[in-house]
Amino acid sequence: MAPMNEHDLLIQRFLDHELSPTERTAFLQAVDVDPVLRRRWLNLEMVAAETARLPKIVPSAEFLNRLKAQVIPAPPSLLARLCAAVTAHRTLEWNFAGAMAAACVAVVAVAGLLSLKPERIVEVPVTVTPAQTASFGAPSDPKVFVRLILVQPNAQSVSVAGDFNGWNPAQTKLDRTDGGVWTVTIPLKPGRYEYMFVVNGKQWIADPLAAEDAGDGFGSQNAVLDVAI
Amino acid sequence: MPVDRGDWPDDAQLVARSLAQDHEAFGQLIDRHASVIVNLGYRMVGNRAEAEDLAQETFLAAYKALSTFRANSKFSTWLYRIASNKCKDWLRVKRPGQGRHDLDADEHLDLHIAEERTPEALLSQQQVAQELEQAIQRLPPLYREAFVLKHIEGLSYEEMEEILGVNSDTLKMRVYKGRVQLSRDLAVLNQMG
Repeated sequence: MAPMNEHDLLIQRFLDHELSPTERTAFLQAVDVDPVLRRRWLNLEMVAAETARLPKIVPSAEFLNRLKAQVIPAPPSLLARLCAAVTAHRTLEWNFAGAMAAACVAVVAVAGLLSLKPERIVEVPVTVTPAQTASFGAPSDPKVFVRLILVQPNAQSVSVAGDFNGWNPAQTKLDRTDGGVWTVTIPLKPGRYEYMFVVNGKQWIADPLAAEDAGDGFGSQNAVLDVAI
Repeated sequence: MPVDRGDWPDDAQLVARSLAQDHEAFGQLIDRHASVIVNLGYRMVGNRAEAEDLAQETFLAAYKALSTFRANSKFSTWLYRIASNKCKDWLRVKRPGQGRHDLDADEHLDLHIAEERTPEALLSQQQVAQELEQAIQRLPPLYREAFVLKHIEGLSYEEMEEILGVNSDTLKMRVYKGRVQLSRDLAVLNQMG
């Protein structure tokens, strides 16, 4: 198999999320100034994006029932099970020691039931300390400018909603650039943020370029952004 | 809305119950995994009826071999491996010796991307989807298999390595070259449009 050249390897590592944050930044800066590299990368991003949108087959209930009927052997009928129960060979054994032990357990259990009395329930007052909250102002927090990119050639609008804007999709809109690439640069304080893109105001999608994902508790994945100085 | 899965048995529990002759448990495994197995088959062979037959063969083989399943891998990974082998067997029988479709030969794919314009620029979404589906079918099977597991099934390279028994560096290269080939096919369509 022919080896990949340096550019191919770089694009492959970017697409497969193998670059470090510093390398990712360097890569995005490189595609900014190199239109050939940018087109090459975007073409491949779009293949992945379009593939993810291909329709999936949803097996019908009829197919699933047929599949189960063909794969799983049918349980024996009631009559067959009855016949098997009646005609099964059995050996009866009398174990004197076992019988004595069972009888002892029965006697102890009856004696225990006869001596059962309701017990008092003691209530103990517990002192509860109310929860306290505090907030600290930090008017001069440093901010980092973060650039978000989404390849969506057919979108009419793209916005981003996340921890940093109260998950309000109307607040932060992305701008369309060459080749259906949508970008926005936002100032963020250092920290960890979850976010999703909103396409055409209704379709919520995770950032395919995010280095990390986190479950949102609703069956989807939010992208995670770690902002550090 | 979040689904309450407090009493939702995991695959390992369903496998254990199936081994204890609880047929309903294997039925639940079928309900849970049939969709991905049918879709994997469809992307590999390009025909829904054949894909459903392959899914049936996959679950039948899994049911018969359930006692050999080892809990050190995920049930879904094990099932993918069976399905992947069924697809390869199907391709060997139904499409033998088709040169670039030869399953046992690792192909040399050209990495040159001829078209610099955005492939989708002049095409509708439906056209792109149709062409992409056909282009995936034209990929050499080894590349198709890697591409489908990565980009349609959404598996990690570690999972793919376990399923296919191929090291992840080779898989990364196959996925990448598959992407390049598909990108080129879409660009050619754009030129014609």
